Amino acid sequence: MKFSRHTRTAAAVAGAAAFALLAAGCSTGASSAEPASSDNPVTLTVTTFGTMGLGDLYKQYESDHPGITIEATNIDTGGNALTDWKTKQAAGSGLADVQAVEEGWLGQVMAVSDAFTDLGQYGAADIKDRWVSWKMDQATDPEGRVIGYGTDIGPVGLCYNKDLFKEAGLPTDRAEVASLLGGDNSTWADYFETGKKYKEATGNAWYDQSGFVWNSMVNQLPEGYYQADGTLDIDGNAALAERWGELAGGAAAGLSAGQTQWDWGKGKAFVDGSFATFVCPGWMLGVVQGQVEAAGGNADSGWDFADVFPGGATNWGGTFLTVPTQSKHPAEAAELAAWLTDAKAQVAAFQAAGTFPSVTAAQGDPGVSGSNALSKFFNDAPVGEILASRAEGVKAQYKGPNDSVIQEQVFGPATIALDKGTDGTTAWNDALATLKNLDLK
Amino acid sequence: MGTMPSPDPWEKKPMTSTLSPPSGPAQKHGPRSGRAPVTPNAAEAPRPRSALRSRLGALDVKASPYLYVAPFFILFALVGLFPLVYTFVVSINDWDLLSGAGEWVGLENYAAELTDPYFWNSLFNTFSIFLLSAVPQLVAATFIAALLDQNLRAKTFWRMGVLLPYVVTPVAVTLIFSSAFDEKYGLINNLLQMLDIDPVGWKSEVLPSHLAIASMVNWRWTGYNALILLAAMQAVPRDLHESASLDGAGALRRFFSITLPGIRPTMIFVIITATVGGLQIFTEPKLFNPSSSTLGGPNREYQTTVLYLWDLAFNRGDFGKASAVAWLLFLIIIGVGLLNFFISRSIASADAKHHAKSGRTARRAARRAARKRTLRRAHGQAAHDSKEDPS
Repeated sequence: MKFSRHTRTAAAVAGAAAFALLAAGCSTGASSAEPASSDNPVTLTVTTFGTMGLGDLYKQYESDHPGITIEATNIDTGGNALTDWKTKQAAGSGLADVQAVEEGWLGQVMAVSDAFTDLGQYGAADIKDRWVSWKMDQATDPEGRVIGYGTDIGPVGLCYNKDLFKEAGLPTDRAEVASLLGGDNSTWADYFETGKKYKEATGNAWYDQSGFVWNSMVNQLPEGYYQADGTLDIDGNAALAERWGELAGGAAAGLSAGQTQWDWGKGKAFVDGSFATFVCPGWMLGVVQGQVEAAGGNADSGWDFADVFPGGATNWGGTFLTVPTQSKHPAEAAELAAWLTDAKAQVAAFQAAGTFPSVTAAQGDPGVSGSNALSKFFNDAPVGEILASRAEGVKAQYKGPNDSVIQEQVFGPATIALDKGTDGTTAWNDALATLKNLDLK
Repeated sequence: MGTMPSPDPWEKKPMTSTLSPPSGPAQKHGPRSGRAPVTPNAAEAPRPRSALRSRLGALDVKASPYLYVAPFFILFALVGLFPLVYTFVVSINDWDLLSGAGEWVGLENYAAELTDPYFWNSLFNTFSIFLLSAVPQLVAATFIAALLDQNLRAKTFWRMGVLLPYVVTPVAVTLIFSSAFDEKYGLINNLLQMLDIDPVGWKSEVLPSHLAIASMVNWRWTGYNALILLAAMQAVPRDLHESASLDGAGALRRFFSITLPGIRPTMIFVIITATVGGLQIFTEPKLFNPSSSTLGGPNREYQTTVLYLWDLAFNRGDFGKASAVAWLLFLIIIGVGLLNFFISRSIASADAKHHAKSGRTARRAARRAARKRTLRRAHGQAAHDSKEDPS
């Protein structure tokens, strides 16, 4: 589940959904015909999820724009936010004026892209050069309508625990770790081989569970579960099968700690030495910090961030701000979405949550590349610089209509099976059987 | 109104009654009440108006009961019947959650679901969890009720105590149990490991996960059912117990021969509500492992039918099939309800005559016995009368 960003606490979902309903029900005010002002107040609702780091920006926008009131709702995880969006989209009412949409949902979102306001009507063309070009392409539907403005992208680096590396006799310096894993030419074979050495030295697992490693492997391919023309391509896909074999080999060698993803024993697994490496898209850094702190750890728990990733540059996740056509104030909402995704806002969001900017000007901003609370947590690693380096050469992968369902319901169980000792071939065949049972296209 | 010197609000009562009620009763009551302003008013009314009034009155008598029960039925039609019918309409279409109605497909969705292994898996899970929860729960509830039925000190304290779990919301219960049943860091597996027992896959194996979920249901509902059974036990006549113990029946014998038969109707009620609730179980399996990517366990180990339905509708977006599952579940619940009804009826009639072998002979025997009883009673009464007569 690539879109989940926090431990799921379902109790919070119910509350969040109720608040969203309440907020949506209250979003009255002037009609969109005349612009908002203090005489013509407009209330805009915003729905986000996980840790997007936008919380502090709303107040500033309100004080800069008299007459605008922002009612924000943050849903705990991307998965729950997707359910929330689908339900309200299906019901035809209840969506916020500004709605966050995750990359992994794009397949489903694009199927109903006319349910989103074409931001081209509100000046998208004037600001389109802000973003890395593939981000803008992802948000453009086949008819050329721009349905969202990019917030963050998810370049992936490798989180590792330097204390555990030291115990195993491996290098601890992040540049040395990068070259240990093959540097710029790092391959998955390098990653698993080093893992086996680590396992031999310590008896402990190398990574937390197979699911996230598999997500990264699939995201990295030019085409994942779908070909670019939208046809499902899993059975007989040689590239997928080869990587599955590597992953199964790693699990068979005991490199996976078999943790529960998005749970990790409420963070305990991050501080008790259960595993030494962790795949880290930019937005995951905030998750790691949250997990470590939830389990009572801190910056001294040993986590560090290296500028290397097996198999090369890849993107995992990232979000867009959209304006559903359900909004009664599309002009004001589009303006807010544009403001929340400009360079200054993205720098602020990065500092709050580690979400790496999709706006090129923000990527090079000292506020991103310099030191901040997040970099201090990761042993003073220049996380912004590393992520910028990891973002080089990233290409967006086409996401089909059932991408997220396949990820969760077909390969979710299969990767758990690997972690529990099922051999690779059996698990792969079981996955194909599941795919058939689910009747996905 | 304000300017009128209004003396006592009660004074107005006769006035109002002459204005509204049906003419029949008003004419009857009028003279009896002896109030001057009332009688003339009714008598002076022009004939056509009184005919209209009597027709209105008749309408009132006939129609107003329906009006009074209407709110329930209107609400039921809105939130019960309409969704039911609409769900059926959705179920015979190829209906996507987001893009809406597609082609009409007849009963194809039903056929697809009836051959879908995940549907049958969900039914198996539902019934397994239901049996694992309902049976021990009812046994324990009866036992607890029997204990509470004894002469205890601080009765209210104990009775409130067993109801406490029911007050806690299922979400909170599930979060706590989910943490206790965690496979790697949970309390229960930690305890097992301390006793050198292998940890149990509470969230990834079929039977352990069913037991864990059943334990949540039991924790929540046992006390509630115990209180209902306790109320029924207290309605069992005490003199039956007394005479039985005079005849030498022990506590156990009295429990099985007096208490249990005495609470049978309540027991049937409890069983039926437990069935309807148990077959629709959702919250516990939904939140048992909220981080699981597949709802109801990695390989659907504890995916119940309602959970499966939800997954179909909101994750896979297939509203048509989800609606078909909803209807199938509806039919299954009706089926199980009818089964309950027939079983309970045959139990009830078997009760009338212990030696009866089947329901029909039992009823016949019961009728015979009843006839005999009346005869005997009439006989006895006659004898009694004749005895009393001479005095």
